[in-house]
Order: sequence, then structure tokens, then C-alpha cells
Amino acid sequence: MVSRLRTGFVWVTALIIFGFLFYEARRASVSLESAEVVTGWCLLCLMVFLALFNIRKKLSMLPIGKAETWLLFHTAGGVLVTAVYWLHVGNLWPLGLYEQLLALLIYATVLTGVFGYVIQRTYPKRLTQTGVEVIYERIPREVSELRDQAEDLVLECTEKTESETLGRHYVDTLAWYFQRPRFFSHHVFGSQHGRQWLRQQDSAVRRYLSDDEKVYLDQLIELAEYKNGLDTHYVYQGVMKGWLLIHVPLTVALLVTSVWHILLVHIYAL
Amino acid sequence: MAVALESAPQRWDSPFDPDMTDEEVSDLLNTSAFMTVDRDLFPTHTPLEGILKNDTRIVNFLAGDIVVREGDYGNSAFIVLEGSLRVFVGNEGPEGLLGRQSINKRGVFSALSQLFSNSHIPEVRDTRNYGTQNLREGRQDSDAARVFVQDIPAVLDEFRTAILEEGAVFGELAALGRIPRTATIFSETDSVLLEIRWQGLRELRKYNEEFRRQIDTRYRENALKVHLRETPLFTGLEDDVLEQLVTATLFETYGAFDWHISYQKMRSAGRSGPEHEVPIAREGEYADGLLLIRAGFARVSVNYGKSNRTVAYLGAGQYYGLRALYDSWHSGTDVVLGSSLTALGYVDVLRVPAPILEEHVFPNIASRPPTFASLDDRSISDDSLLEWSVEERFINGTQAMLIDLNRCVRCDDCVRACASTHGGNPRFVRHGKTFDHWMVANACMHCADPVCMIGCPTGAIHRSQVGGIVIINDDTCIGCGTCANSCPYNNIRLVDVRSRDGSLVLNPNTQLPIQKATKCDLCATNPGGPACVRACPHGALSRVDFQPETLAEDSP
Repeated sequence: MVSRLRTGFVWVTALIIFGFLFYEARRASVSLESAEVVTGWCLLCLMVFLALFNIRKKLSMLPIGKAETWLLFHTAGGVLVTAVYWLHVGNLWPLGLYEQLLALLIYATVLTGVFGYVIQRTYPKRLTQTGVEVIYERIPREVSELRDQAEDLVLECTEKTESETLGRHYVDTLAWYFQRPRFFSHHVFGSQHGRQWLRQQDSAVRRYLSDDEKVYLDQLIELAEYKNGLDTHYVYQGVMKGWLLIHVPLTVALLVTSVWHILLVHIYAL
Repeated sequence: MAVALESAPQRWDSPFDPDMTDEEVSDLLNTSAFMTVDRDLFPTHTPLEGILKNDTRIVNFLAGDIVVREGDYGNSAFIVLEGSLRVFVGNEGPEGLLGRQSINKRGVFSALSQLFSNSHIPEVRDTRNYGTQNLREGRQDSDAARVFVQDIPAVLDEFRTAILEEGAVFGELAALGRIPRTATIFSETDSVLLEIRWQGLRELRKYNEEFRRQIDTRYRENALKVHLRETPLFTGLEDDVLEQLVTATLFETYGAFDWHISYQKMRSAGRSGPEHEVPIAREGEYADGLLLIRAGFARVSVNYGKSNRTVAYLGAGQYYGLRALYDSWHSGTDVVLGSSLTALGYVDVLRVPAPILEEHVFPNIASRPPTFASLDDRSISDDSLLEWSVEERFINGTQAMLIDLNRCVRCDDCVRACASTHGGNPRFVRHGKTFDHWMVANACMHCADPVCMIGCPTGAIHRSQVGGIVIINDDTCIGCGTCANSCPYNNIRLVDVRSRDGSLVLNPNTQLPIQKATKCDLCATNPGGPACVRACPHGALSRVDFQPETLAEDSP
């Protein structure tokens, strides 16, 4: 775990860098010089540095520092980039069309970064609370196995109790639930709707069941609750993997457009 | 001579060598090793003939075959029946001859080259390395392949060796004490050895006074004095007092050598807790000596509710019973033990009698020793992690992969990092037993008591000389699966190896795929240590030493 001292050091360093750039921009402004050159090049260096974090992940075989330390720099760097961008542009939203595209990309990259930061600090705890631990790629197989178990249970109940009440209820409602991960949007926001839906299905049918059938229903609900845990994992793990598919391409697009911006500026403006 | 018993030990249901004949047993009884043994001292349910028939086997070695290797763990001892063997003496070891892997740290560029050299085909091997090792098939069908010394005269010239001839016994201290073998021995000529498994050894030691004296004397001479001197309690003692201590100390062993098997059976039967473990000392009894753990682990527990509550676990070098002994001496009255001690698997214990402590040790202790069993300021919840790690035997791990699930985002960067440093093949599974928000993943824990190393026929799985990690030499692994079956934590996997073109590598004799045992090697050849730890962006993964050294200072 990164020590508080190191965390503090990184953030103070980021603050000092920003302070220096702010001072330099003010000085240049007073001296009628162009502060955008300094802030712009700093901005590009920072963005390249942030993008290197993804390269570092591919270079695990090299002793180039812990990824945890890199993430700390990445986070502080992301905040610094936003501040330096404002310093560079001078306002929140630029006027030129190409500059607006750049602004859009930078805001989108930062926002997806913030989103990633937030979910990576909230979802793991929620996943632990499910009491289920599963590897993401195994979830479809686990769901399939659960479905088989549930169907076997219902068939057995029908045969043993010679009643099709539970079987009918399963076909009408729970079969849908066991088919694949459900309640995606509810899980994303931490809602307990899946569990509440299960309770509703349980109470809806329980009054029509004999004591023998209730034993089967209890087992079925137990499987369904485990499935609810799997659904939670499917959603949370999927989101935690998926956000990078937006953040990384945005970063690449931002870098490419930034390089083109610099070329244009150096050719036409300076 | 037929051996028919009504109540034979259960282990004899699976004899060491099912092909051992009565004639061979009869011949063995006439060898110098057993000729003088008083058979009447053995109980009727465990006669000497029965031990020889069921707990021993006759093994033939060709000239050059390595019989035992320094650093290996073994569960058997040997008696030379025919031929002569050589033991390497002195500090210079024949490391290059043992079929072990030499760890060469990669440079930065070599490490980086893995980016391009890693294959998308799983478990690709450079098969040119196979067959270049000094490996040859055993003499009998049942024998596994062995590593052998090719040029015996050259080895004898280069290294200092001593000769072992007919009647010589070796390997018994390592087998009984569960400590690494201290020397490498190879067969100088074609030889015949009697291999005795640890159960038989224990019986022989128990019922054969001469054998016991021989083993005990050897241990007292070789290791006990050093062991006692290294024990903090005895560091200030004069040499003559230490000699008295060495003479008075008793040796005891508890639990089964192959504890992983009995443990797995116990868990599959749904049993757990100290009440199912072999007791060493019981709460409420009087202590007659200080118990020093020499090898293995023991659980300290107290009666609590309807069960027992774990308050600590002890490993090698730690001791138990000091508080009660000290209180008895100080107060002049008998004080009972405040906790129980049970064997977590196989435990080798030294018992130092109370009188010698009272005379030489207690007067030098400034204050009353602390106790384990102060539960006043600890709730059951406080101790539940300890209870779990003991119950699951994770205490054996020196490099257990512990994942904080509250921080882990399940990104599998650790798995990818592992794969990138092992030819594209991850050497662990990010899955395992969980407790609260902790997971011990299925990665080799590089155990303090590595049961996986017991019985490897070629010594392919071994401890590295530097760092003491457990590694497998892929070139000498014959894929027998002994290590994988022994690992109580399922952290070793057998894989089918492939050549560079993706085709399975087949054994030319059987036409079956060649298998190799694989596991975490802590990135031994890679610069910077375990890649998994460095790769975790959230600091969720760490390699943890469960050894109770930190408890040592508090030991009573």
C-alpha cells in the first residue's frame, strides 16, 4: 500500500508544478510574452506521461516501479492536466472548432478517468459484500450450471410431489431470471432490485405450495440468491473492465489531435 | 515366513512395496542390520517382520545414481545392503550434478525481450533441453527416472567424499525430524538399499533400543547443541550447562509425516479444530518440561464454549510451557498449563526437563514470562482470522498470495504480469479461499514445510540456495505428479507441454503427452521480484509470510 507520505509528496509536487506554471503564465502575461507555449508543451508532456501508465502495464517484466505508484502519479497527473489545460486555454470552453474538439476530448478523457477512479474505489467493497467470489470469464458457465441445477430441482419437485405449481411458476418467471445475468442497470447503481424481485417471486408462489414443495422452493431461492451475487459480479466486473475501453481510445484520440494542434500552431501561429 | 496378523496397523493395507516377499523379509532378518535386533521387544500387532514386509522396500541403484540430495525433503531412510555409496563432505557441493535449476537473473534487455518471445501457444518448451540432463530410467518398471553422476572417477577427484558400505544407515534424521537432507549421496557401484518409510522408522526407533540410541546420539552430536544455543532462552548458558541440557533433552514426534493426506481426509469429512488433532500437551495438566518446536507447527488453544479457541500457533524455534514451569518454580507449588498444544500435521518436539531449567535458566529470568492465553482484551471476532489461517493451514506459507478483496478491482493485471514473465503462461489462479475481505489465491506459498518436495524422484522440485524459494527444474521434471498430489493447497498444476509449432510433445516410448509440473516461482529469474505484486495498481496483492516469528518475542 502506498504510504500517506508518498501520496502527500506526489500531490504536493503536482501543486508545486501548477504553482510554477501559474506564476510563469502570469509573468509572461505581464511581460507581453506568450505563456501558451510553456503551458502547452507542459500539457503535452503531462498527457504523454499519463498515457505511459498503459504502456507500463505491458512491461510488467521490467523493474520500473509498482503499478500502484504509477497510478498515484496518474491520478495526480490527471488533475494537474485539467488545471494546466484551463491555464493554457484561459477559459472553460474555447471558441475555435478544432479547439472545441480538443476540449471535448480532454473533458471526456478526464471524466471517464474520474468515473474509473470512483468505481474502482466503490465496487470492490460491494463485490466483497455479495459473499460470492468468481472470475469474470467463468460467470456464464456458472450461470449455466445454476440453471441446470434449478431445472433439475423443479423437475424433481414435480415428480416427487406430483404437483406442477412450482414448475409452472419457474417456467413463467424464474426461468427468465436463470437464463442469463439480469438487472444490469439496477446493479450498476447498487440497487437491490434483483433481491427484491426474488423475494416477490418467493412470496407470490409460496402460499400455493405444500410443505414438501416449500422445501424445493427454499432450495430454488437459495440458488437464485447465489445467482444474484453472480449478476452483481457480472455487472461490476464488466463495468470495471469496460470503462477502460472508452478511456484509453479517448486518450489516444486526444494525443493525436493534440500533436496535430501543435503542428498547426507552430506552422501558422508562431 | 508368512506374516498374518489380526490387528495390523492400518497403513499396512497399503504396503510400501506390494511385491515384497516373505523370503526377502527372511533374508533381511539375517543381514547385519537386523540380525542382532531383539524381536521380542516388538509388540504382537507390530512385529519386526511386519515392519520389514510392509514399511520397507528393496531398491536397486546403478553406479552413479543419486540416492538422496542435500536440501531435499524425504520421508524415508536407507540401509546399505550391497555395494558402496559415496557421500559428499565439506562445503563445496556438486550443485551442477543434482539436476537442479540454477537461477540466473535476467538483465533488463533479456527481460524486455519476453515481450516478443512469449508465445500465444500455451506451455511451449524448448525441447532441445530435454534429454541433455543426467536422467535415466529406473532399473525396475516401478522405479521412476533418476538423476545420475556420469563420470564417477572425475567427481571423486573433484569433490571430497566419504564411503558408505554395507550396513550403513542414512537419511533417518531428515525422515524423522522432517528437516532437509544434509548431504548428497550417490551410488559408487551398483548397489542394493533397503528403504524404510517414516512410519516403519518410527516403530523401529520406538521398539529397538539400539536403533533409538544410534539415532539420538547422532542427533545430539550433530544438531542439538547448535539448535539449543540458537534458542534465545539458552543463549547465555555456559558450555557445560548446555552439555547437560543436550544430554537431558528428549526427542518426540507427533502427527503423521504425510499430514497433508490426513488433513485432506479430515476436511473432506467435515472435521476441523484442535479436538481432531494429535495432542502434545493438555490444558489443566502439569508441565514436566519445556516443549521446543524443532520442525512443523503446533496450535495453542484454550477450552472455549463447547470447543477450543486458537490463541496462537507455534513454528520451528518457538517454545511452549515456560510460564507454567516458571510459576511452579517461583511459587513452589504445582501450576497447571493454561492452554493446550496440538500438532498441526507433523511436529518434531524437543522436551527440556523442568529440573534443569529450574537450576540453570529460571534464576536468570528477570520477569515472569507472558502467557498466550490472555483473552480478556480479544473477542472471538478479533481472533477469527487467526483461527481461519490455522484451520486452512495457511500458516505454512512464507510467500502466500494475499489479496485484499476490498481493493482488488478484478482486473487480472496480476495474472497478465505473471504470464508475461513465464512465456505467456500464468503460474497461479486468481481464485482461492476467502475470509472476510481476504483471499489467499491459488499460488505457491513457498511453504516452511514443503510437503510437495517429499518423494520427487528426480529432485526437480527443490529449494533454491538463494532465498529458499521452492522451484521446479522443468528439464528434470518427469511429470509424475507426486508434488501436485501432495500440495495440500492445489497450487501445483500439471500441464501438457508443446513444441514451438504448437504440437504436443510426446514421450517416444508411450506416445503419451509429456507433462510437467508448474507453479509460481516468485519470478526468480526476473529482475525486480514477483511481477504480480508490482503489477497491482491498487496495492491489493501482497506476498505474506504467515510464519509466527513475530510471536517469538511473546512466547511464554
